Amino acid sequence: MIRMQSSWLLESVEELLQVDSVAIPFFHRFSALNWLSHLEIPLFANFPVDSQAMLARAWFDVDKGPFLDKNLHKFNQLLTQPLNKETNPFEPWLDKFFTRQQIDYIYYWRESAYEIEDYSQREIFWSAVYQVMSYWLTNKKYRTEMFFEPDKIMAYYLHYHNEFIRGKQNKVEITSKHLSELEAKECSLVLFPLIFDDDTEEDLLQIIYYAWFHGHADIKLAKKEISLALNRYMIPFNAKSDYSKFLELAEKASSAAFCWTGKELAPRIHEQVIAEPIRNVFKTGFSKSKLYMKSVDKTTDTYDYLLVFKK
Amino acid sequence: MPTTFLNLSLILLVVLLTWLAYKYFELHEIVAPYQKRYKHLLSGIASMVDRIEGYNVRHSAEVAKICERLGIAAGLNLMQLQTLKTAAMLHDVGEILLPADVLNPEKPLDPEELFLIRAHPLLGELHLKKDNDICDEVPAIIRWHHERWDGLGYPDNLKGEEIPKSARILALADAISAMSNNRPYRKHQYSGREEILFELESHAGLQFDPELVRLWGKLIRKDLAEEIAEKLKQDDEEGEA
Repeated sequence: MIRMQSSWLLESVEELLQVDSVAIPFFHRFSALNWLSHLEIPLFANFPVDSQAMLARAWFDVDKGPFLDKNLHKFNQLLTQPLNKETNPFEPWLDKFFTRQQIDYIYYWRESAYEIEDYSQREIFWSAVYQVMSYWLTNKKYRTEMFFEPDKIMAYYLHYHNEFIRGKQNKVEITSKHLSELEAKECSLVLFPLIFDDDTEEDLLQIIYYAWFHGHADIKLAKKEISLALNRYMIPFNAKSDYSKFLELAEKASSAAFCWTGKELAPRIHEQVIAEPIRNVFKTGFSKSKLYMKSVDKTTDTYDYLLVFKK
Repeated sequence: MPTTFLNLSLILLVVLLTWLAYKYFELHEIVAPYQKRYKHLLSGIASMVDRIEGYNVRHSAEVAKICERLGIAAGLNLMQLQTLKTAAMLHDVGEILLPADVLNPEKPLDPEELFLIRAHPLLGELHLKKDNDICDEVPAIIRWHHERWDGLGYPDNLKGEEIPKSARILALADAISAMSNNRPYRKHQYSGREEILFELESHAGLQFDPELVRLWGKLIRKDLAEEIAEKLKQDDEEGEA
C-alpha cells in the first residue's frame, strides 16, 4: 500500500528547489496521478504493467475526449439471456470472485468492446470495467446489497469518467516500457513510489484485471507476469535491496523523492531499514537529503514517509 | 511487629491515595476552564465556516456528533474520538481561504473553480499544521475527508483502506449532515432518515466505506425502532387516559 500525497511531496521538495517537471519511472495505480496532472507542469509516468498503462491512458489522455453517448447506448446493453458458459474464459472465477451474472458481464464487456472502432473509446470502456470489478469485489467482501444492475454501474463509471476529465488539459506523457528499457529522464524531480512485496486488496484487483485484460482467468500466471514486470523494483522488506538502479534512473534529475507507507512498525525501523540504505547509495549523486514523516492513522499506527534528495 | 508494619503501610497507602486524589482534582480544576475555552473556540470557528458555506444550521457540530456515534460503533478509543471530533469541527476550515462566489455559486462551477474547491482540504491541512508539526493527525483527517472508497475522490485519490478510518468516518458523517439539511444547489432534497440511509446504502463501496454504512444503518434502525416503541407507548397511555 502506498499513500502518495502529491501536494505534500511538492511542498517538501520545494523547500529545496522549484519543481517544473516530474518523472515517475514506475507507478502503482493510475488514479493517484490525479493531483499532479492538474498542475501546470510536464508530467511523465511509466506503467510497466500494460493493463495499468491502459487505465492511465483512458483517464489521463484527455485529448481523446469522453466516452460517447452513441457508444454507451450501443455497447452497454442489458443482458437478458445468460451467455454460453463453454466459451466464457472467466468461468473459473465463478463464486470465487464474481457471481454468475457478473461473469457473463465481464465476458460480454470484453468482447463487445472489440466492436468499438476507435481504440481510445474502447480503452475508456474497458477502464470502467476495472472500477466495476473493484465495486463488485468490495460488495463480495463486505456482503453488501447490490443496488445497481451491471449496465447501470457501468454507465455510472463512464459518466464519472466524463466528469473526471472535464476541463483537464493533457500534460501527462504515459508510457508502458519494460524497466530494462527505461532511461534516465531530464527533469527537476524524479519520483519513486516504493512498491513492496505484500498482498493487498488492490493488488488482487490489479491481478484479476490484468488476467481479464489478457483474456484469461489464470491468476497465478497474472501474478507472475506482474511481478516480472516490476521485478527489480519490488522492495523485499526483510532482505537487502539494490538501490543503485534507482540512482541510474535519477541521474538526469535535479532532485529525487521516495515515498512509501509503513504500518505497525516504528518510524525508527523504517529509517534504518529503508531510508538509510537509500541514502548510502544516493549520496554519490545527491548532496542533500531529508526524511519527512507523517502520522496518518493512529487506529492502525500508520505513518507515511517521504525521502527527498537534491543535487 | 509484622502487624504494626502492616498497619503503618496501610496508613501510608491511604495518605498517598488521598494526596493523589487531591492532586487530581486540583489539576482538573486548572485544566477544565481551558478545555471549555478550547471547545468554545472550536465551536466559534466552526460556526463561522458553516456560515461561509451557506448553512443555516450548526453543520460542523452536527458532523462532530455523527462522527462520535459512528466512531464509538467502529471501536475508536477515547483519544481517537477526541481527534476525530476536533477534525470534524474544523473539516472545512480551508474554505475560509476561498473566494465567496466559488462557495455559493449561482451557476455550475467551471473546471478551474472546481479545482479551487477541491483544494480546500489541502488548505485546511496546510494551515492547521503550520508551526505545529507534532499534532498532525487532525490535519491529516481533514486532508482526506473528500476521498472516496473507490479511489475517485480528492485530493490524493486514496482507495479503500488506504484512507484512514477516521477520515472515512468524517466523509460519511459530512454527507449525512449535508443530506439532512436543505442545500440550495441540490436538485433533490431528502425527506428523512430512511431516504438518506437508502442513498448511503446504495453508495456503499462506491463513495463510502461499506462497513461504516452498515454500522450507521444499524444505529438508525435502532433509533427508528425505539421511536416507534416510544410512540406506541405514548398512544397506549393516552388511550388508557
